[in-house]
Amino acid sequence: MKNYTYLFWGYLVVWVALAAYLVALMRRVGHVSRRLDALEAGRKKQDAGRAT
Amino acid sequence: MPRRLAYPLLAVATLATMPVALCSIFLRAPEERVMGAVQKIFYVHVPLASITFLSVFVLLVGAVGYLWTRRAAWDHLSIAAAEVGLLYCTLVLITGPIWAKPAWGVWWTWEAKLTTTVILWLLLAGILLARAYAATPEQGARIASILGAVAALDVPIVYKAVDWWRGQHPIVFGPGKPDPLAPGMGSALMLSMLAFVLLYALLVASRMRLADLSDRVAACEEAASRER
Repeated sequence: MKNYTYLFWGYLVVWVALAAYLVALMRRVGHVSRRLDALEAGRKKQDAGRAT
Repeated sequence: MPRRLAYPLLAVATLATMPVALCSIFLRAPEERVMGAVQKIFYVHVPLASITFLSVFVLLVGAVGYLWTRRAAWDHLSIAAAEVGLLYCTLVLITGPIWAKPAWGVWWTWEAKLTTTVILWLLLAGILLARAYAATPEQGARIASILGAVAALDVPIVYKAVDWWRGQHPIVFGPGKPDPLAPGMGSALMLSMLAFVLLYALLVASRMRLADLSDRVAACEEAASRER
């Protein structure tokens, strides 16, 4: 059996870093997207209030 | 192809290619005679380094595009390339020592290629810091574009550092060099390269989307504060 223990840790660092960045990025996109939806909804509500 | 479809397709292609590349590296590619199992870090290190260079080129295109047209889309490309490029460059600097310790006996040495790669890392980090601490987003974008051009100048220096300063870093590929890879090694490297390129494209697309959404939020907030 070949010993890949040494490499396992090296590869783990790479995958954990890439996966952590991707997850953090998706969370930030989700957060900013929700914030934009809320702002746009507030604006529409304000415009509708002005029209009446 | 509609933009909405391209993103999930890219994600699926990335997820499908990664395990195939790993199987090819660990199950198909033969073990190198001298280095043994440690050489397999090469299949990650080389694609990461190549894509770091590609990222600096993308950064340069975004920077020049922004300075030329002042369009936000170019700046978003520049932001994404700098951030993802910094991540890839960091991983290059982590995977390199994993190979260096058994090969050279030390984790790190101030060898020309390693030193110029650290300079590239510092330039990419500087771009992100310039954006974060600039007085206005426009000023940050301008400084980042200039630093991006400097980072692009460092790439050929990193590439040629071993030749110019007789460094220890191995040169596997180069003009006039015979193909050093045994059958099975080349295909594993190409598959790994493809997987990391797809992941890079996915990360850059996601980061560009985040930059676009952030700009829209800032514009909405500014409009709301003006109305108050």
